[in-house]
Amino acid sequence: MSMEMLREVVKKVLNEVDVVIGYTEGFDKIHATPLFINTHEQVEKLIWSPICVHNLTTYLPSLKKKVGVIVKGCDSRTLVQYMQEGLINRENIKIIGIPCSGVISVKRLIKAVDHANIEDISFEKDGKINVKTEKGDKTIMLSDVMPDKCKTCQYPTPVVYDHLVGEPISSDKPKESVYGDIVEFDKMTLGDKLNYWLKEFDRCIRCYACRNACPMCICQDSCIAETREPHWISQRLTTQEKLMFHMIHAVHLAGRCVECGECERVCPMGIPVNKLKRKINMDMKDLFDYEPGINPDDKPPMYTFNVDELKIKEHKIG
Amino acid sequence: MIEIGFLKKENLQAFLKELASKYTVYAPFAEEDIVTFKPLAEGKDLCLDRPANLSPKAVIFPQCETLFKYSFSKKEDSPDKVDVKLEETMDFEDTVIFGARPCDAKGFTVYDRVYKDSDIPDPYYIGRREKTVIIGFACSSPSPGCFCVAVGGGPADKEGSDILITELLNGFVLEPVTEKGKALMQSSLIEDGKASLQEAQKKQEDIKQKVKNPFTKTGSPQISQKIFNEDEFWEKALSKCVSCAACTFLCPTCYCFNITDETRLKEGERIRSWDACMFFHFTLEASGHNPRPTKFHRFKNRVGHKFVYYPEKYNGVIACCGCGRCIRYCPVSVDISKVVDDLSETNAETNLTSNGGKA
Amino acid sequence: MSGVDPKQELRIVGFLCNWCSYGGADTAGVSRFKQPTDLRIIRVPCSGRVDPLFVVKALINGADGVLVSGCHPRDCHYSDGNFYARRRLEMLKRLLSFLGIDNRRFHYTWISASEGARWQQTVKDFTEVIHKLGPLNIKREA
Repeated sequence: MSMEMLREVVKKVLNEVDVVIGYTEGFDKIHATPLFINTHEQVEKLIWSPICVHNLTTYLPSLKKKVGVIVKGCDSRTLVQYMQEGLINRENIKIIGIPCSGVISVKRLIKAVDHANIEDISFEKDGKINVKTEKGDKTIMLSDVMPDKCKTCQYPTPVVYDHLVGEPISSDKPKESVYGDIVEFDKMTLGDKLNYWLKEFDRCIRCYACRNACPMCICQDSCIAETREPHWISQRLTTQEKLMFHMIHAVHLAGRCVECGECERVCPMGIPVNKLKRKINMDMKDLFDYEPGINPDDKPPMYTFNVDELKIKEHKIG
Repeated sequence: MIEIGFLKKENLQAFLKELASKYTVYAPFAEEDIVTFKPLAEGKDLCLDRPANLSPKAVIFPQCETLFKYSFSKKEDSPDKVDVKLEETMDFEDTVIFGARPCDAKGFTVYDRVYKDSDIPDPYYIGRREKTVIIGFACSSPSPGCFCVAVGGGPADKEGSDILITELLNGFVLEPVTEKGKALMQSSLIEDGKASLQEAQKKQEDIKQKVKNPFTKTGSPQISQKIFNEDEFWEKALSKCVSCAACTFLCPTCYCFNITDETRLKEGERIRSWDACMFFHFTLEASGHNPRPTKFHRFKNRVGHKFVYYPEKYNGVIACCGCGRCIRYCPVSVDISKVVDDLSETNAETNLTSNGGKA
Repeated sequence: MSGVDPKQELRIVGFLCNWCSYGGADTAGVSRFKQPTDLRIIRVPCSGRVDPLFVVKALINGADGVLVSGCHPRDCHYSDGNFYARRRLEMLKRLLSFLGIDNRRFHYTWISASEGARWQQTVKDFTEVIHKLGPLNIKREA
């Protein structure tokens, strides 16, 4: 894929919509930032590289305009989920898909260079990343600093698009690997698991970045985490309250989470919040053979039922 | 009496232990790569090579604190009446914050004007503030997003610290700033450091040169009222904001709070917790009206509070210490220094017609 | 969790639908079937009203066990409330152990208004299991 092609497509789409959302350079070399393009001149500021990590579809439900949006494979699943739930009007959205072979995790990249300040970065076709830091240069493999979602990505090419920029690529990752880490985690003892979560959630500062960045968290200003009536959680800073908040987030995303990993990426305290949601998704797949964000005609499993559930057996007590 | 102290690197742990015998010592510790200020304890990794993810503001201004407890009971002599009992919860410990960055330390001076030296002093804040000694730690390299020099601070600025530490190859130079700091230097582990002072000062000066000043044209924040009051500016500059509170909660100078009563049957607590102007609920009124209904209004307030309203009230002092946390950890990399730069007087004529505030 | 007094009363919260299970509990009472007293019943219009978060909130805030009971599938007073409940509660049952909470502390079942004896047996068995597991204190287990 070339930048010229992308710019051409964006210019074309810009004639049909009010705004196109893409990426541009952020405050340093390893941070991209969303770019809202209104004019042809702004198209020149567009960038595309593995630092384009954001899921830009998160802005769509609240934008009451005709919008063009650049999506990676993972992000495109959000659009399908929006369609399932009637959260966007497909006619008002122009989707510019880009096949993606993986992005960076800024947290992992910073860790890989031992927290040295990164002055420059360049990406090679074979997955090598050349990093220039204040403490010297280093070559890293993209696969070593990817977020987990890329390591098991099944949809490198967007599942829905109006324009595809670049050649479609198919996944080379085994389908069984997707929830490998979840299965592994679940093998721990109950006590270890609870301690793990209490320790992780203890760091939570309740900034709600995970919720606000989440494309499927559509209640936004009416979130029950902040209402006094009903009083689901208080302002107290106990681990229980934090745990309760994250359970609210996870349970409200049951069968809806498209696993874009935004919640985890944006957490300033490095809490692996996507794990809970992925565990639920794993069960949704097992119970209802349902995968969020793939087929626009599907119904989220919690919005429907079968009179006879094949996979749900009555439980015995104990 | 040592005027400038020197602490050998191998004596750092012993010095902290010595402090811990008299004070609760908060220091930056890394857990899963995240650095926060925690009470000193064995087996934790002290992390001084980069600024903490979370500023130490919670030590003096806790994210959540109980103001008082209350309970209801029937009056003994007339059971139809309710008796309310209040219980004070003001009990503050002698505390040391070790390893606060100069920006973190300066943050407390922003609070002082509001909570300590104002017409309505806050006893909870003052209680903790007066019992806390802050040992600042000069930065050895600026992090991405840092801009302390542009808002009246610096990587070795002494404002807010009681002692300032500068790290040299073989040890630390300790410069006492206040009487509180001087008292803390009475330790057998601290040697005379006069000989190293010059080296420390040179290092401080070198690093100051490395910190970027994002206000390229003006050198300091110069906000044009004209652009500031244009809705269009904010709508363009902040389209990408997701309106979470990562910026405010990580900020060493944000001090807004919420007060709630958490009642359980016949007893409860009145608690004060951090609030954030980026939340819809921050200004939501009981009538249902919200004077800041959109993220644009809210971010305008955030910038306004730090760079316009606070300076108007407190002799031009900016309520931002340039630590860069809100930039580094923003989910969508909103750069407040860029936004303020775009608001500058020099842009007043040209900005609106081009692409105001766009990164 | 050993060393718990077997006679000590634990906190079990029950969410019962108004039309079947609450009636079943009533039938058990009227028939004077003896039951353990650890269970506190909250009556809800339908098992479909039971948000899985009710269960989570109860467990995080001090309940040692939670029991949800509704009409048998196909018997829902509102025709399909319990079908939705079944999916949600099954999701929760699987999630709890991932969180580190023994999922035996949460049970969901279907009991009709005429099944007083079945209600009695369910309460007895569930209480016994919770006693075996002992109190759940999320804070203490950390």
